[in-house]
Amino acid sequence: MNRREFLQCAAIMVSGLTASQLGIALTEEQRVYLASAPNYNTTDVDYLSEEQRQILAAMCEVIIPKSDSPGAIDAGVPHFIELMAADWFSDEERGIFDAGMADIEQRIPQEYGNRFDLLPPSDQLEILEALEEDASDHPWYEFGNVQRDFISDAPFICQLKELTIWGFFTSERGSKEALRYNPMPMTFDGNIPLGPNDSSWAGGF
Amino acid sequence: MANIIDTTNYDFDAIVVGSGISGGWAAKELTEKGLNVLVLDRGKPLEHSVDYTGEHAPDWKFPFQGKKPRELYKEEYPIQSRVSHSFNEANRHFWNNDKDNPYVNDPDKPFMWARADVVGGRSLLWGRQTYRFSEQDFKANATDGHGIPWPVEYDDIAPWYSYVEKFIGVNGRNEGLPQLPDGEFQKPMPWYALEETIGERLKKKMPNVTLTNGRAAILTEDLPGRSACHYCGPCPRGCSTGSYFSSQSSTLPAAKATGRMTVVANALVDRLEHDPETGKISAVHVIDTQTRERRSYSARVFFLCASTVATTQVLMNSTSAVFPNGLANSNGVLGKYMMDHPLGTMNLGVFLDDMDSYYSGRRPTGLYIPRFRNVGEQDQDADFLRGYGYQTFVARLDWSARFNSKGFGSKLKNDLRKPGQWLWALAYFSECLPSESNQMKLSNKVDRFGIPQVAFDFTWGKNELAIRADAEKQADSIMKAAGAVLSLPASEGMSMPGEGIHEMGTARMGDDPNQAVLNKYNQAHDVANLFVTDGSFMTSSSCVNPSLTYMAFTARAVDYAVKQLAEGHI
Ligand SMILES: Cc1cc2nc3c(=O)[nH]c(=O)nc-3n(C[C@H](O)[C@H](O)[C@H](O)COP(=O)(O)OP(=O)(O)OC[C@H]3O[C@@H](n4cnc5c(N)ncnc54)[C@H](O)[C@@H]3O)c2cc1C
Ligand code: SF4
Repeated sequence: MNRREFLQCAAIMVSGLTASQLGIALTEEQRVYLASAPNYNTTDVDYLSEEQRQILAAMCEVIIPKSDSPGAIDAGVPHFIELMAADWFSDEERGIFDAGMADIEQRIPQEYGNRFDLLPPSDQLEILEALEEDASDHPWYEFGNVQRDFISDAPFICQLKELTIWGFFTSERGSKEALRYNPMPMTFDGNIPLGPNDSSWAGGF
Repeated sequence: MANIIDTTNYDFDAIVVGSGISGGWAAKELTEKGLNVLVLDRGKPLEHSVDYTGEHAPDWKFPFQGKKPRELYKEEYPIQSRVSHSFNEANRHFWNNDKDNPYVNDPDKPFMWARADVVGGRSLLWGRQTYRFSEQDFKANATDGHGIPWPVEYDDIAPWYSYVEKFIGVNGRNEGLPQLPDGEFQKPMPWYALEETIGERLKKKMPNVTLTNGRAAILTEDLPGRSACHYCGPCPRGCSTGSYFSSQSSTLPAAKATGRMTVVANALVDRLEHDPETGKISAVHVIDTQTRERRSYSARVFFLCASTVATTQVLMNSTSAVFPNGLANSNGVLGKYMMDHPLGTMNLGVFLDDMDSYYSGRRPTGLYIPRFRNVGEQDQDADFLRGYGYQTFVARLDWSARFNSKGFGSKLKNDLRKPGQWLWALAYFSECLPSESNQMKLSNKVDRFGIPQVAFDFTWGKNELAIRADAEKQADSIMKAAGAVLSLPASEGMSMPGEGIHEMGTARMGDDPNQAVLNKYNQAHDVANLFVTDGSFMTSSSCVNPSLTYMAFTARAVDYAVKQLAEGHI
């Protein structure tokens, strides 16, 4: 919904309808009127080579694979990470990321005989697990260490995991299909049953 | 009334500086009583609902999908972005830009000055916790000798509390406690199952502790033009349904409806002009923050509601031959006796109860544990004066608390998708004694408009430290009694002065003109047509959130001022 449409809604509002009546009259789009803002993940970026993109996508998918719900690739996570690498990382973080990508690009074909994204899933998992093993003493893994912006010296694998998980659960498909999404619940109930397979609510950072 | 007040020689009957929580109330009351009112605010213009551009925005619409733009915050919002529970990309446009509007922040004695920069002020950002001061609070200074006695008793202000509560809409539960007077409440919001569990346990094991609804200025029942909360959750982005009280949703529309209000945004008041002939304020001087054009406006009566620090800055900057040390400061107390509530998360408890119970909707307020120490009289085992309360919150951990887990693949994804443990957090807010040495001043540095920058000299005293130690001990007992399987002390040390965002007391009220800037009606002892009704007037701080008290005193001050005008005393 654009600004003009929103103003029309606002006009209904000041004409005396109470907003809860209005809430019911509004469409989903209208209620979430910032729907007019572009999805961040649709922004263009040109940071990685085509080959690196394939590799990055494969790595993200090992972290959050497609199952009965979408995986990292479905949710646009590889593109999100490319955007973050280009626009958000500090020089230090970007250096670690670039070196990590270069390492996978060059070392893996030598050790496994093929590019990361063309290897069988078991090899891909083994490679990332080995990276995690090497990094396992880093404070990034410390219990409760999530209330911070980013850890600038975090190893490549930690960068990858943090941005994959963040990117996935804040994406539209991750929020709506792996989590539950409802921006306008209208009521509060503090005690509803939670089934064994029910997921958390999305959103509201 | 309007015909009694002669406006022929003035631009307006009344001028209100600031449109936040107290300014909105001044505007509403003055216009409803028939006065033509000009409201000036240094902030940008803001249109209710239309400019809440972050409201209901999903994560994926944010830059970096919600990861903070770190460089920008460090460069331009180093102070404001510390308010991490409220400040983010959804509402950054409501906040002050620290780079453009600096103050002197001594690194050895830091003070955190959190402020808004829009019409509506911090009423758009506040946590909406709304509590009355008690009889004991109004008597505290007189009883233990810290600060000067309040010139007002609970019974004087109680009807004004009721008046304000009915208009703003407060949900809560009456408890019959003398230390937290009941009020005019809409129906309380429901509890989480875990809160019910905890409540039962506390009743048995710590009967002196009451767990009650946080009293919050959020509607659970419709009011004219505003509707009951739709439980979307992130309130500081603005609320287009007007479900929580803000000047934008409530007081300014009421004032506007009278047809007697003019609002000018981007209008920074740098000083008031005192006329030595009449002994009154004759005009305000304003700088347009966009064009730097200077203007002045005259009126019969002036209400300063620019928030504690800003109001006192204006008074200090309004020097003249009669008031060389700042306007209405003949006794030299202006800027002194500043207070702010120390606060901090004391304990985080992990619970294994109610694991198969979940919730729907986001309840935008928590539960409250009112003061239970030194109630009535001093407890034998307390080595501190006065008291504290806890704001409490329930959260169920989700992926965002565990994204640094080890592992890969479907198992990781599935673990992260599902809710984790329940947490219950206790955050204490304590009283701060009025102390002469805690103060704000003007420095020699000027800002981009040539106005002297504010500087702070503020440290916590022994009593505030002793309260914290007690709050920590009691929090641990409460957590244990509540049944936490793990109770983690959550933060160390005192909050930074200012971090409570309850700065107050720099132009305190009192009966004695040698000791107080204002009289009991918020009128300057030195200047009959000057009223100050933001937190500057506070003579003590209680331990409860103060904004309701600002509103009640504002409405009462207007009532008095208009009568005085009508009778020709002003
Ligand atoms: C995140 C947050 C949470 C909070 N939670 C609570 C809570 O739960 N309960 C509670 O009671 N309080 C809470 N507070 C505090 C509450 O917001 C303030 O006490 C209250 O807003 C003060 O009202 P005020 O009218 O004095 O100032 P404000 O609401 O700050 O309004 C002052 C206005 O004056 C304007 N102004 C400033 N200087 C000038 C000038 N020189 N010329 C013209 N205009 C000027 C400003 O732009 C602003 O609009 C919270 C605050 C914040 C930021
Ligand atoms: S939770 Fe309620 S009060 Fe808060 S923004 Fe949503 S509707 Fe408004």
